Amino acid sequence: MATLIPTLTLSSTDATTDLLNFSVTDSLNITQKVIAPSRVTTSTGDLTLFASGSYSRSYVYLKNMDDTIAMDVDFGSTASFNIRPGEFAFFPWHASQNIVVAADSGTPVLEYAIFEA
Amino acid sequence: MATTTATVSISSADLMPGSPLNISASSTLMKTGITTGMELMEMGNAEVAQNYEAQLFADGPATDNGAYFIYVSNNTTEDSTYYIEYKIHETVIGRLYAGDWMFVPYNASDGDAEIEVKALNGINKIEYAMFKSAWTLPAAES
Repeated sequence: MATLIPTLTLSSTDATTDLLNFSVTDSLNITQKVIAPSRVTTSTGDLTLFASGSYSRSYVYLKNMDDTIAMDVDFGSTASFNIRPGEFAFFPWHASQNIVVAADSGTPVLEYAIFEA
Repeated sequence: MATTTATVSISSADLMPGSPLNISASSTLMKTGITTGMELMEMGNAEVAQNYEAQLFADGPATDNGAYFIYVSNNTTEDSTYYIEYKIHETVIGRLYAGDWMFVPYNASDGDAEIEVKALNGINKIEYAMFKSAWTLPAAES
């Protein structure tokens, strides 16, 4: 078993008159499969990044490495994120649906990692 | 224009022997169009009763790929087995166990794209924030 420490910090000096500056962290027990940070070139066709049948409860990190092109991250047929250039996501995934990625255009690169609890 | 920065770090000293894990990513939260910083946010705390399914964030304006960001943390401390299940567009994505958090972009792209949470194993206390490109207050009742 290994321990994974994810930390999120959100900050702004000018979004409101009150400074925004908070941080949240967690300590996760990782006991199953891990894919350390890796990169894949996407296209406008659907790419199954993580198949639901291959994982159980997991934590997923995604980052769009492109400077100009966004990409959709779909769960099943209706739920999705749109990760724009340079943006990232970190979320728990219960592996009830595949995670499928498709670029809005071109061939942007996606950085990803998965940690199965 | 405001500048709001989100940074994630993911680390582990023992995940891979001899090779500590250190991921770090940062981005500025931008409105739709990625040239103007986000200025609108909604933050709060809530309790979600056991087996109660709540709409955490309503669907937004019907704008494809509208820019929103969602932060949710399960701040329950009573029991580490407590969790909330979260859905987007009626699709279960994952579970936030006590102490877990998530940060994701969110499309809010049509009338059914709300984010819902359902508590399991007792009352769960959550903290949340939504960063928005645009927002119109509900019309006053006549």
